Amino acid sequence: MNLFFREMKAARKSLILWCIGSFLMAASGMAKFEGLDSTGESLQQLVSTMPRSLQAVMGTGSLDLSTAVGYYGILFTYLLLMAAIHSLMLGAGIIAKEERGKTAEFLLSKPISRSRIMTAKLAAALVNVLIFNLVTFVFSVISVAKFAKTEDSISDLSLLMTGMFLVQLMFLAAGSGIAASGKKPKRAVSMGTALLLAAYILSIAIDLSQKLEFLQYLTPFKYFEAKRVLIDGGLDPVFILLSIGIVFILTIVAYISFNKRDIQV
Amino acid sequence: MNIFLHELKVYRKSTIVWTLSLAAVLVLFMSMFPGLTKDAADFQKLLQGYPEPVRKAFGISLESITSLLGFYSYVFSYIVLCGCIQAMNLGVSILSKEAREKTADFLLTKPVTRSQVVSAKLLAAISSLIMTNIIFLAAAAMTTLSVSQKPFDMGTFLMISLSAFLVECMFLALGVLVAAVMSIKSVLPISLGTVFAFYILNMLGSVIGEKAVRYLTPFKYYDTAYIIRHASYEPRFIFIEALFIVIAVSASYIIYSKKDIHAV
Amino acid sequence: MNVIELKNLTKMYGKSRGIRNISFNVEEGEIFGFIGPNGAGKSTTIRTMLSLIYPTSGSALIFGKDSVKFAPEIKREIGYLPSEVFYYDNMKVKDLLKYSASFYKKDCSHRISQLSKMLDLDLNKKIDDLSFGNKKKVGIVQGLLHEPKLIILDEPTSGLDPLMQQKFFDLLKEENKKGTTILFSSHILSEVQKMCDRVAIIKEGELVKVEKISTLKENNHKRFKLETKMPVSQGFFQMDGVQNLEVKDQITSFLYSGNINSVLEKLTQLELTNLWIEEPDLEEIFLHYYEKENEDEYFSP
Repeated sequence: MNLFFREMKAARKSLILWCIGSFLMAASGMAKFEGLDSTGESLQQLVSTMPRSLQAVMGTGSLDLSTAVGYYGILFTYLLLMAAIHSLMLGAGIIAKEERGKTAEFLLSKPISRSRIMTAKLAAALVNVLIFNLVTFVFSVISVAKFAKTEDSISDLSLLMTGMFLVQLMFLAAGSGIAASGKKPKRAVSMGTALLLAAYILSIAIDLSQKLEFLQYLTPFKYFEAKRVLIDGGLDPVFILLSIGIVFILTIVAYISFNKRDIQV
Repeated sequence: MNIFLHELKVYRKSTIVWTLSLAAVLVLFMSMFPGLTKDAADFQKLLQGYPEPVRKAFGISLESITSLLGFYSYVFSYIVLCGCIQAMNLGVSILSKEAREKTADFLLTKPVTRSQVVSAKLLAAISSLIMTNIIFLAAAAMTTLSVSQKPFDMGTFLMISLSAFLVECMFLALGVLVAAVMSIKSVLPISLGTVFAFYILNMLGSVIGEKAVRYLTPFKYYDTAYIIRHASYEPRFIFIEALFIVIAVSASYIIYSKKDIHAV
Repeated sequence: MNVIELKNLTKMYGKSRGIRNISFNVEEGEIFGFIGPNGAGKSTTIRTMLSLIYPTSGSALIFGKDSVKFAPEIKREIGYLPSEVFYYDNMKVKDLLKYSASFYKKDCSHRISQLSKMLDLDLNKKIDDLSFGNKKKVGIVQGLLHEPKLIILDEPTSGLDPLMQQKFFDLLKEENKKGTTILFSSHILSEVQKMCDRVAIIKEGELVKVEKISTLKENNHKRFKLETKMPVSQGFFQMDGVQNLEVKDQITSFLYSGNINSVLEKLTQLELTNLWIEEPDLEEIFLHYYEKENEDEYFSP
């Protein structure tokens, strides 16, 4: 438990900064909605008949921009990106940090198994991710509710946030998996970032070209994207299973490789 | 000169990786351009059934964004984002690396002034950026030429492409300043955080007024729509950038020269 | 001529830590020891001389030039070996040494091969893969390859095995014979005694004394500890040069300085079961200095 609290404390400052970022995003993004609110429904209809590639370039997607939740969908893409970066940094940082700061020797010479260390660190990261998710949820509900006229936005938003949480878990697991199994933990953060940016770019590319649709399984950013979730009114079970599987496998990889790892000093 | 060469070598690998990734992203996206023009043409036909004002409003924005340079600008915004992460990374790491890896004792007990150290490192960072941009530009020009069916203005194309380097220079200067002021344990979170913060600042536009935001975030300094329309940059932003860089860089020189380098 | 001249050198960090009013001179061709316990301010003083950190007040003149104003010029003739060496990852030893040599406007390749041969250093290995001791050797070669006129060593022997230490000391003595001045900081008294002509003693940021080693050797202290069959009577060791006498049943211990023969004579009168004669540790020497100068203060820290 001491390790858990130590980790929580170490991450506190950055968590606060990330939450402020989420607040700014939610508040400022929704403020723009007022301006767009007046675009008539007929235009919305027109937009929905556009080919998907054009929708993507024009920045709307198939979201119904005349509703507050639909407009929030655009914002959600950025929030998802933020959440993913945050989780990845946490995941990659928990192991890389020790070797970088040469504190690995200190920690590992204590009477505590490596699995316990990993568990404590992952638990702390998980709580951080959860806090970020909840904070974002609260900010989102407040700012959407301010503009939503009639519709009930809470159910839609909680669906989106559940999706976001799964994406966070994937990147958290990916970060720790890379850091634990890579030869140089210092590189874990850059490798993870490269992976994340690649996944993000791929998700944009898929929007632009239907031919790439089959690649959507490769990028978590496509799993629970707003347009899919809001139109279906639920999370796709295939992607839920897929993400749980990914999280599971990567976490096991992280545990096993951390247990086998030669600690470098 | 030796520090410069050494630094170039240190960043060689990452520069190559960045360059190839940027070029790959561009090629990937631009290769979708023919498909996009086809979609656009189909949609234009569909638009015929709509009333005149809608057609007009839609047609214009559609036309500008599905033109070659319009689409290039769209893709380019992602390239600039990545390029800026690279630049900020470089800026932060060149000055913080010695302290982090504890090699400051080695370098700073050599017969060189701190200013010489900063100059050599800055020069190496800029050279890396220039190399990335030259290779990227070549790749971009080749891809664009091969996917375009209609002729386009090469001058405007070059101006848009060059704006990446200008924005990158600002982030490089910012990174150097940050590294001179703070002691940095890990580079990437700092540079990612800062670059994305400025990127997201665009969203804030509506709250404090679009005009003010343009001055705050370097991403808006070289607006591609303006470049396409006027075939030039906006002089006042060039001036602001120059001013910012001069201030940030000279502050970095002064701070770094006066800094105490503590024992490990 | 003075190679190093410190004048009231002061460097404060916050309120307590740092060094206060350090003044001493090191003459050309000297091997000068700089000794004090951990945290006394040795590294701070050295880092100020190298302008890695800047003095709060006072000044350091090296080769007669101000250490801050003429930093690069001075460093051309300085070789520095820090206590802990970290060098750029992903570099071979050879590359690092070449990089180091490239800062000095002379050809050092001959010297590099000579030094590394002497220290048994493999030039083709990656620095990452070296052990701590071998990294230290890289540090030594790196500090000496340009034949500096002043060598500054900050606790240089940690991590070197005794054989290598000896080689290193021989190397330094050889350099010294060529006229090189050496400033040698350490917390190990015997090391300093072996190498140095004069020594500055520093404690809690202040200079306690600058002393010739020959003088130090005169009041060369030894710690005696003996085990006897019968407890020794209190009065038995009443003689000049015995301090801190402690008798606990069969074990007797004291600090002795003076003619070693007279104490040995005394010992032959006892029936010993065991005997230890050791170099006193630094704290004890300091105790000795503080007792002389400021008795009360030391005991109420």
